[in-house]
Amino acid sequence: MINQLKYLSVIMLTLSMTACYEDTDVTFYEAGEYKGKFDPHSQTKEERSAILAKRFGQVQTDR
Amino acid sequence: MARMKFLCDSERCIECNACVTACKNENEVPWGINRRRVVTLDDGLQSEKSISVACMHCTDAPCQAVCPVDCFYTTDDGVVLHDKDMCIGCGYCFYACPFGAPQYSQEGAFGARGKMDKCTFCAGGPEEDHSHEELDKYGRNRLAEGKLPLCAEMCSTKSLLAGDGDIVSELFRNRVVRREGRGESWGWETAYND
Repeated sequence: MINQLKYLSVIMLTLSMTACYEDTDVTFYEAGEYKGKFDPHSQTKEERSAILAKRFGQVQTDR
Repeated sequence: MARMKFLCDSERCIECNACVTACKNENEVPWGINRRRVVTLDDGLQSEKSISVACMHCTDAPCQAVCPVDCFYTTDDGVVLHDKDMCIGCGYCFYACPFGAPQYSQEGAFGARGKMDKCTFCAGGPEEDHSHEELDKYGRNRLAEGKLPLCAEMCSTKSLLAGDGDIVSELFRNRVVRREGRGESWGWETAYND
């Protein structure tokens, strides 16, 4: 019984230590270089330009 | 290629602050932060002028130049955005910006300076379009919906313009020509014949 408890405590300790794992990936700074997340766009820039130009004509015309 | 720009026509701005309200509501901007403000010069005098100011999405952005962790980037549309996961809230961009655009939310029990927040030209940020993360961190992504910033779209006098710089400047040039150097039809001269 005592042996079983010992094994159990070792397993519990191992599991609890595993939970303490910390991701150590760091972003190394390099001057003038953006290393953040990539900004995905659903449309190409030409498509977007055309859509937004049309929108401007619809909502921001002079009165 | 389009370069998105704001332009505020001071002859038309009536200081209604609708742009400020629209921005706060659309982007769910936290309490104490204004991404856009209306600045009035010579308040109450005949020469009174108001302009609506936010991040101007500079072509050679000083905030981008001074950021010690380089968390800024410029999109294909010319919109200056930043990654809040990289921002350390140092405040250098606030000192560098000539328009006072960067804002800092109070975070934590002692109100420490949080991550920088600024106008995104309603273009969201570096998260998946229309995701919860994007809305929480940066606000609405209206550009991905084919719309322009709400502050400009709902400006009642069409004072605040937002869009491709070439189209905006063409529209403004036509206005200036039409005015022939005079102010718009309303104003002190009309109201008081002074």
